[in-house]
Amino acid sequence: MEFFEPVLNGFGVVLEPTNLLYCLLGVVIGMLIGVLPGLGPAATIAILLPLTYGIEPVTAIIMLSGIFYGAQYGGTITSVLLRLPGEASSVVTVFDGYALTKQGRAGTALGVAAIGSFVGGTVAIVGLTFLAPLVAGFALDFGPPEYTALALLGILLVATVSNGGRLKSLIAAAVGLLLATVGRDGFTGESRFTLGSLELADGLDFVPIAMGIFGLGEILYNLEERHNKVSAPAKVANVWPSRKDLKQASGAIGRGSVLGFFLGILPGGGATLSSLAAYAMEKKRAKDPSRFGKGAIEGVAGPETANNAAATSSFIPLLTLGIPANATMAIIFGALLIQGVTPGPQLVQNDPELFWGVVNSMYIGNILLLIMSIPLVGVFVRILRVRPAILAPVTVLITLIGVYTINNSIFDIWLVIFFGVIGYLMKKFGFEPGPLVLAFVLGALLEESLRRSLLLFGGDATQFAGRPITAVLLLVFVVVILLPVLQKARKNRAAKTTTIPTKRKESV
Amino acid sequence: MFHSKFARRSASTMGVAAVLALTLSACGGNVATSGGSDDGSDFPSGPVTLTIGQDPGGSTDLIGRAIAENASDALGVPIPVVNKPGANGALATQEVANAKPDGQTLILLNASLIAITPLAVSEDEAVKLEDLEVISGISQDDYVLVANAESEYKTVEDIVAADKSFNFATTGVGTGSQLAQALLFKQAGVDGTDVPFDGGSPAMTAILGNQVDFATIQLGEAMPQIDAGTLRPIVTFSEERNQYLPDVPTALEEGYDVPVSQYRAIAAPKGTPEPAVEKLREAVSAAFESEEYKEFNEENLFTPHEIDGEQVTEEWTANAAKYKELVEKYEIDLGGEK
Repeated sequence: MEFFEPVLNGFGVVLEPTNLLYCLLGVVIGMLIGVLPGLGPAATIAILLPLTYGIEPVTAIIMLSGIFYGAQYGGTITSVLLRLPGEASSVVTVFDGYALTKQGRAGTALGVAAIGSFVGGTVAIVGLTFLAPLVAGFALDFGPPEYTALALLGILLVATVSNGGRLKSLIAAAVGLLLATVGRDGFTGESRFTLGSLELADGLDFVPIAMGIFGLGEILYNLEERHNKVSAPAKVANVWPSRKDLKQASGAIGRGSVLGFFLGILPGGGATLSSLAAYAMEKKRAKDPSRFGKGAIEGVAGPETANNAAATSSFIPLLTLGIPANATMAIIFGALLIQGVTPGPQLVQNDPELFWGVVNSMYIGNILLLIMSIPLVGVFVRILRVRPAILAPVTVLITLIGVYTINNSIFDIWLVIFFGVIGYLMKKFGFEPGPLVLAFVLGALLEESLRRSLLLFGGDATQFAGRPITAVLLLVFVVVILLPVLQKARKNRAAKTTTIPTKRKESV
Repeated sequence: MFHSKFARRSASTMGVAAVLALTLSACGGNVATSGGSDDGSDFPSGPVTLTIGQDPGGSTDLIGRAIAENASDALGVPIPVVNKPGANGALATQEVANAKPDGQTLILLNASLIAITPLAVSEDEAVKLEDLEVISGISQDDYVLVANAESEYKTVEDIVAADKSFNFATTGVGTGSQLAQALLFKQAGVDGTDVPFDGGSPAMTAILGNQVDFATIQLGEAMPQIDAGTLRPIVTFSEERNQYLPDVPTALEEGYDVPVSQYRAIAAPKGTPEPAVEKLREAVSAAFESEEYKEFNEENLFTPHEIDGEQVTEEWTANAAKYKELVEKYEIDLGGEK
């Protein structure tokens, strides 16, 4: 029973009125931005980051995570109704969701998605509750060598699994690594690439980079891209799915929960990857795969369940090891650091209130999502009519004021603008910003851990292989590199492949 | 913790206020510093800003906020705190040193920035005490050498007797943690590899996880683990025994010349008129006398070291010279890897 005490205390934290309010706020903002195409959770969280500076750490993280998983559902609404995925993780939902809408069954699609999201999220939280302390339990065994291997693996997975071309992702990741080297060398005190400026002595700050590349970059790109493609919303009726629909969807919901949970934990995984995988799996398992794309309810239930499960479980590596699995987690990582909370092995032990408060807030948030999702559909559809010409300048202003307040630094404003242009250019030329930002976060960890390890080993690199966790991680690293080669060989043998849509707007 | 909660609130308020002030001054209505005459007779002419060169939530930040809170009544104006982290505090210190010397802008100084960091970084990045008018010394935070409680080493003698090579964690390059540990091991003839971590918390994790043999951490940070019995204190680095660890000997008592502590002071730009400096001094003294501030020190295990500005300059200059001498004598390179 000792285990449950901090867990129950965590509920005490969530049920404080302020936290409940911010949970609600986060979920609503999340759904809202999920509805707006282009502006993803990463961008929104990046933009809102400075505003959380004034509130309690628990409250802030509860809100930010609410935005994250709320967006997974919000993205569904436009996918189903307008064939316009608000989120990358909802791209596959378009196929069957919009088909259902055309058949006049939009309500059913949304209902099933809501139920699936709720189940997937809840299953993942239960998993998180039991798995996270377990991971944190042996986390003291994670020394510099283990972190070296983990960071290496993380960067590789992010660069290879991410959307867009593999080469472009690797280039983006490499640039991220380079950016991470700016600043005073933590081992020798020498300045590197600081151009003699003291502002750069500590290296580039993560927040202006994230806010620039995701926030400002997205806004600029959307202004160019989006010329009111929004069509008239369909009517929504019969929100509650029939028993037959539910029966058909339940298997997909179950499978999606498990699949999403595990894919969310993986570095480079997360909501987008898991919704794609779930769709592919459902199609493969179906007796009649030709139904897919024509309104198969499993085609909505599977991916929507999986993306919510993954959004939740991707908190595990962040909170227990301090390793963000995807770009949004990287930004939440930054949020925690700003709040003076270092995510990592010690978090569960040292700050159980924060840890369990955040975890348990997700139960509440999921219930809120389920309750609100259907009645608010009309409101969200109306939001789609706000013109970008009004929305964009407001967002830009919030971004710039926000970044200034973090360090009271004009220099940071220039950084945001600089990285905003970089982010815009990356989007324009098909480079994913995710690998860059993640490689930037993990780059410092990789370099420091590697050099620390070599100091500890007296320069003997072969000792990496002598540590069990490190050895396993490095083995996985090798497998990941070899996998595409093996797949290619298999592809050549069997020409039949499952088609997975490759055109996606952004990574999550 | 109560203090950090408060700190965060006021930080955000100030962030917003700072934006407003910036906007206003851009429009030509310079609110904060207008109307002050040059002789300091009508000081303070508005809120006095205390700049902190570290992130919110750390010990330097907490101290600054505790003083600001308790000194503003005596000064008669609010003392907003602004965090401007960067280059270990050098960024904020340089900015304050270059500000108008009217007493309206203050900085919270860490001694390590003045006395130790210059030993590790290039000269043009070092901050000099001559550019500042020190108002008052504040407090002292001692370093403690710790081992994992399961380790066999209980005293410096044990470490010397083992006659082998050790790894030890420091809280970073150019810190008191690094200097203290390096000096002790060098003087004791212990072969050790200095592994810098990014602050006290990761250094502590490394020693708890047996990744390194020893670590030197600020007392306030190490204390919860020492109390929990997971870390064993071996020596403290200060002239006298620390009041919070009365049973642990100092390195000095063990026969090693390692007088390293983290001292803090509050300062204004050079050339601040004497009347203003005097008023600031009185306000800071009033803060030191308040019960609330005394409790704050005890809660966070800081030892008050409330000396006047001249003494601070003397002590820190002497420390800087002493460190330089010791580092040269024992051929310790705080930069470069060993």
